Amino acid sequence: MELAIQTENLGRVYKVRATKKEKAKELIALKDVNLEVKRGELFGLLGPNGAGKTTLIKILTTLLAPSSGFAKVAGFDVAKDPEKVRPRINMVSGGESSGYGLLTVRENLWMFAQFYGIPSKVANQRIHDLLKIVHLDDRANTKSSDLSTGLRQKMNIVRGFLTDPDVLFLDEPTLGLDVEASRDVRKFVQSWIVENPLRTLLLTTHYMVEADELCDRVAIINAGRVLACDTPANLKHQLQRDVIYRMEVSPLNGVGPETFEQLRGVNKALHEAKDGYSILELILAEDDALGTVVNTLTNKDIHILNLQKREPTLEDVFVTLVGKSMMEVESGSEG
Amino acid sequence: MQAEQSLPTQAVPAEKGTFQRTLRSAAWLGWQIESNWTDPLTFLVYSVIKPLATASILVVMYSVITGSDFSNPVFPYIYLGNAFYIYVAAVLNGVSWCVIEDREQYRMLKYIYIAPVYIPVYLLGRGFAKFVFGSLAVFITVTFGVLFLKVPLDLAQVDWPLFIVSLALGILMLAMMGLTLGSIILVIVNNVYFVGEAVAGALFLFSGAIFPLDVLPAWLRPIGYAIPITYWLELVRRSLIGSVAESFQTLAGFSNLQLIGILLGLTIAFALIAFTVFRYCDHLAREKGYIDRVTNF
Amino acid sequence: MVLRARVHKNTGWRLFLQTIIGRAYPRVIGLLREKSWFFFDVFLPVISVSAYVFIYRAINAPDIYIGFVVMGGAMTAFWLNILWSMASQMYWEKETGNLALYIMAPNSLMAILLGMALGGLFATSQRALVITLAGIFLFDVQIQISNYFLLFAVFMLTMVALYGLGMMTSSLFLLLNREAWHFSNLAQEPVYLASGFYFPIKSFNFWIAAGASVIPLTLGLDAMRQLSFPGGPALGFVDVNIEVAVLAVLSVVFVLGARWLLGYMERLAIREGRLTDSRK
Repeated sequence: MELAIQTENLGRVYKVRATKKEKAKELIALKDVNLEVKRGELFGLLGPNGAGKTTLIKILTTLLAPSSGFAKVAGFDVAKDPEKVRPRINMVSGGESSGYGLLTVRENLWMFAQFYGIPSKVANQRIHDLLKIVHLDDRANTKSSDLSTGLRQKMNIVRGFLTDPDVLFLDEPTLGLDVEASRDVRKFVQSWIVENPLRTLLLTTHYMVEADELCDRVAIINAGRVLACDTPANLKHQLQRDVIYRMEVSPLNGVGPETFEQLRGVNKALHEAKDGYSILELILAEDDALGTVVNTLTNKDIHILNLQKREPTLEDVFVTLVGKSMMEVESGSEG
Repeated sequence: MQAEQSLPTQAVPAEKGTFQRTLRSAAWLGWQIESNWTDPLTFLVYSVIKPLATASILVVMYSVITGSDFSNPVFPYIYLGNAFYIYVAAVLNGVSWCVIEDREQYRMLKYIYIAPVYIPVYLLGRGFAKFVFGSLAVFITVTFGVLFLKVPLDLAQVDWPLFIVSLALGILMLAMMGLTLGSIILVIVNNVYFVGEAVAGALFLFSGAIFPLDVLPAWLRPIGYAIPITYWLELVRRSLIGSVAESFQTLAGFSNLQLIGILLGLTIAFALIAFTVFRYCDHLAREKGYIDRVTNF
Repeated sequence: MVLRARVHKNTGWRLFLQTIIGRAYPRVIGLLREKSWFFFDVFLPVISVSAYVFIYRAINAPDIYIGFVVMGGAMTAFWLNILWSMASQMYWEKETGNLALYIMAPNSLMAILLGMALGGLFATSQRALVITLAGIFLFDVQIQISNYFLLFAVFMLTMVALYGLGMMTSSLFLLLNREAWHFSNLAQEPVYLASGFYFPIKSFNFWIAAGASVIPLTLGLDAMRQLSFPGGPALGFVDVNIEVAVLAVLSVVFVLGARWLLGYMERLAIREGRLTDSRK
């Protein structure tokens, strides 16, 4: 089957200029990224902030040149033939502030349609229809500077679909949207892919639920490297051999997760302090390991308040691959 | 899942003196923004070329007509007036431009607004860096004129107390005008980028900067007499090159003290206007939701 | 239905034209929706040009110099349009995220820039026209056009060359960040000086004037003055026909140069990751 997106040993290094306080340095944003996205796929790229998702999107949308390797979109090399790639793609980013505040929603969309050569009559009809689908038709004549963040993002999303791209890149499209708006966007994205199986969509997100719900396949990326790439079901299935328990316990009083990870059969332990109790999540090699954990808790005078066995999620897959949760990675990278 | 972290429980003591805090913070911020956009060499070139190019336009115009008669008192009149007029654009722009910058470019105006600061004082503080760089431009221009164009400025003959008082009052006066302009910009959301320069350019005609007010048609002169910049520039000329100022009769009937009194009075008037206009425009901007309006224009 | 339908898209010159119109649209609409531009962009500049008129009156300059100032003042509108509505506008578009969307679209950056320029041309032309009319009626400037066709040709060639230069400069701004504003600011007065906006360029040494002629407005202004004022030729730098020829060459060089430089700078900016970085 024809590939919509293909990368081979793709890498990108940023040279950071010297400042008064720091020397010049190099930042590896992407390293040896190998991806193949088939036509018609809704492909997810999942990873924490700073993982390299946006850098990858910028390369694939011809905004950034790779430092090594190559990438092809819709059959054309992004570095050598960007002018052949561009008529076939579009991109929507989360938190976008593009367009002009003085123009209405309709006018902004019409303007961008012109940049793609869509005749005005066709553009206006598509704008009308798409705004209706995303429930923004009543604000078509509102100046975009008067829109809330969520409505503005809906306008941006319409902009992405307006030009009927073969490959659409959505970079955290639900960032900053409320629950209902996010749901609308996800529903819309699914409809678009279903209606035309020849179109491809690459979605980056750090919301596990979103990737799990929408994507045919997901690549998990961290620190510029792709750690795994498969369907959500297969990725979770890899953990099926592991057992996951969620426990609510009395405060751990300084007992760290490493205490439990030293126990036989415990692959990973994560804990989170709450008001008056702690949550302990355990990935165990087998059910029997639970007994050891319970003994340890008892010996340390920690009481179990609640115990649940649950199915693995993509978050668990991430933890298994990276060794930390996504939140820990993000807070670690923030210093 | 994160390691346990305790939130700080001790309250942050409130600093006394919101006025000083606002002014200091704003001045620091303005300095950070204005001072680090390029490397020092490029900055030096920029600082020298820009004011000298502006001055050179007038020098060439004058030379072409008078055959480079730089000893005529008209020349230092024009040259000094133009040199110190740099302050007008710098301070007017400096105070008003930051409204546009903070609203459109940095998108920070809304956060400044909700902070416990005096907005007018914040705007004035932000203009401080432009005043400093304006001073550099004035210095370069005047020095060039003295060294190469026979501008008869003798440091030993300068009336320093008059100069310092005039300069200080003048800068304050310009700051108040800048604040008025900045307030108006709060309620205009488009086409505001050159407002400061456009107003400074227009005042150039009426302020006696580059020609005596007598050259203007009689019906336009009252505008010049109502603008404090006219008196300020006259005071600057008198303090730096008294002989040149004496050659022109426009304000000859006023003593130095009278001019200072007029300048002070007009400065106070403009201060009252500035704060009144600010209150009105601030109210209007909040009503219309302009504080965080981004046009991307 | 809308999600399924495939959309026909124009290419080639149709896309080029659509892009120009699309990008000009926000400029024009902005002027219509916020009318304060007339006061700040037209009325106030008339007053500041008048200041230069009165300088000449103060030093008893011949009347023809008043005409020179008026014409120069009118032409500053176009130079400012180049600097602020084209060149440094690239930086602004980068800051707002629009630049990435323009580059990513299948249109031409030249078309985007032309759209910006043409959109701003409405206000620019108003400014130039009002300054000219003010000069004629308020300052009694005497106009005597010796050759209308040649005057029109000079003006058009100057505009083509000037906007080509503007596009070349814009390409450099693809690489700049905050310094873009300062560089545009820096280019204002030196060009007024070098191009003789307020005095005849003949006042300079021949080689200085010749060097300044690389800026299209230098020869354009000089030729227009020679063609518009009685006594203009006496204060002209070189013969009008030579100036027309040079302007024609500059037009071709700058337009072709702009096309090449825009492509080169875009590739450079993509390689260095400057298209989307925001170093405020």
